[in-house]
Amino acid sequence: MAVDADVVRLRRGDLKALSELVARYQNRLYRYLLRMVRQPAEAEDLFQQTWLRVVEKIRSFDASRNFDAWLFTLARNLAIDHLRRMRPQSLDEPLGNSWHSETAADRIPCKDDTPLDHALAAERRTEISEAMAGLPMMYREVLTLRFEDEMKIEEIAQVTAVPVSTVKSRLRRSLEQLRYALEAR
Amino acid sequence: MAMSEHDKIRELLALAAADALTSAEEKQVAEHVRSCIACSNELGAWRPIASELRRFPTPQPSSWLVQATLARAEAKLTEQAEHDWNRRVLIVVVAFAWLLTIASWPVFQVVSGRFGGLLGPQFSRAWISFAVFTALGWLAGGVAAVMLAVRRRGERRLA
Repeated sequence: MAVDADVVRLRRGDLKALSELVARYQNRLYRYLLRMVRQPAEAEDLFQQTWLRVVEKIRSFDASRNFDAWLFTLARNLAIDHLRRMRPQSLDEPLGNSWHSETAADRIPCKDDTPLDHALAAERRTEISEAMAGLPMMYREVLTLRFEDEMKIEEIAQVTAVPVSTVKSRLRRSLEQLRYALEAR
Repeated sequence: MAMSEHDKIRELLALAAADALTSAEEKQVAEHVRSCIACSNELGAWRPIASELRRFPTPQPSSWLVQATLARAEAKLTEQAEHDWNRRVLIVVVAFAWLLTIASWPVFQVVSGRFGGLLGPQFSRAWISFAVFTALGWLAGGVAAVMLAVRRRGERRLA
């Protein structure tokens, strides 16, 4: 695996490397945290805490390892600690409100779609996002890491600190629950 | 009761839509789906869900959040660098103090041998030598502490 030059520079205390890493990971990290905790204010706080933790721990990170997995593991640990402290029930039980926040870019229609196609697609997306928001945390997590972050199963196993077989089983169950929730609508 | 081939494949269909199978499992599923209409339909039902999940819009952090995060992280990085510098200075000072202590014995012998006759009997030569080297150690520590304080004050002024 290639050593990430920005990570090496950050280990030496380079401030510019930090800005480049934040720019590179900001969207993925924020999305992951938002999927985990579902509340934008909490996700924002955890986003800051994660980068502070990165700065604190970067010297103990082996630069030849996968930085993505390490970063998401730090974020995950902070998110789980936060949920355990603030809303312990949310680690197991679904919550009713949607975490999906539409941006201005989402509302721009694709030029190949008719307005009707666009409206139907948006409606379908809202349905799926609401169904996903109703899943337990560990299922939301595996879905976002696999489909939105496009992480490999092995990487997800690293982030979540469980065997590959457990990741697969969680992924299958999360899809089944999602489909069940969609069909029940 | 042992699972049939069909049931085993059916359990893999959601993972197939998620591209989460090994190449051997993928091959197995592809072969089975070619001859089983029920599993082919089932796989067809999973694919749009997987496809929608991949196309979810990405919520983006506000630029305010990114700037605030960078400012806090950079402050932390600077604080750590300062802490490291202080630690290095401390290590040098401690090493110097040890060096003085170790060197004190031969120096003490030279001083007591050469100037011993000039000192009055009321003074202990050993005490004078010890006092001189202790004072040197304290002086080194004091200079380092003043240097650190001046540097920290300068950095605070810049911040």
